[in-house]
Amino acid sequence: MQNEILFFILAFIAVVSSLTMISAHRPIDSALSFIVTLISIAALFALTNATFLFVVQLIIYAGAILSLIIFIIMFLNIKDDNLPDEKYKNRWLLATSIIISPFSAILIDLILRSDIAIKSVSDTKFGTIQDVGLTLFSEWVLPFELVSILLLVALVGSVTLSKREN
Amino acid sequence: MLKSYMILSIILFSIGVVGLISRRNIIVIYMSIELLLNAVNLSLIAISADLGESSGQIISLIIIAIAASEAALFMALFVVLFRNRGSLDANLFDILGEKHD
Repeated sequence: MQNEILFFILAFIAVVSSLTMISAHRPIDSALSFIVTLISIAALFALTNATFLFVVQLIIYAGAILSLIIFIIMFLNIKDDNLPDEKYKNRWLLATSIIISPFSAILIDLILRSDIAIKSVSDTKFGTIQDVGLTLFSEWVLPFELVSILLLVALVGSVTLSKREN
Repeated sequence: MLKSYMILSIILFSIGVVGLISRRNIIVIYMSIELLLNAVNLSLIAISADLGESSGQIISLIIIAIAASEAALFMALFVVLFRNRGSLDANLFDILGEKHD
């Protein structure tokens, strides 16, 4: 019962802050409200016993990626005339949500009709770093190694992109 | 409980798609893409907790790593595009469509 109340509070915070994120005019406002979304999603991870993913979400997403975004927003020194004026922003948002809402309504209806809630986990080891690490290094070794190549390529690519040509 | 997680994930995904389509500020577009990835992560973790199987958590761990490398590339792109165009408007970034003679 306590978990349900916590879930609804966190879900409400996540939805409201992500709505603020897509509708704010200045990018720093949307970045700050996106941090709130990420932290509430991390708390939802913790609610499902995924403790390792909770820590990873907090450190990598809310810690590294979002501070990188805020650093870039500060670094570019964005004035109001650098922003797109977006006169019809609210109309665009309204029209797009009217277009998208039937699809999400169909999906929600499908989820409500299905019988997916099988069981809930009582294993105390589930989601700990030991459990996740054992699965990662036994069944998922190849994707893990491919991720390291991907990170290397992204590193080289970002250095090459941001190099000044002269 | 799993159904509410899935519904929340669908709602967050739809909000991300709406932001991705309707905004013109590239930083907001980037954060909408991150929101899409987070919605997928949430449903993966809810399913993996429900099945008692940690493979879903590994997939979302890999998604987080991909999002981190994507963040590095996007930041470099922001710097380059802002230096060339002096604006964050996605409609101005049509370098690939220009004719160069």
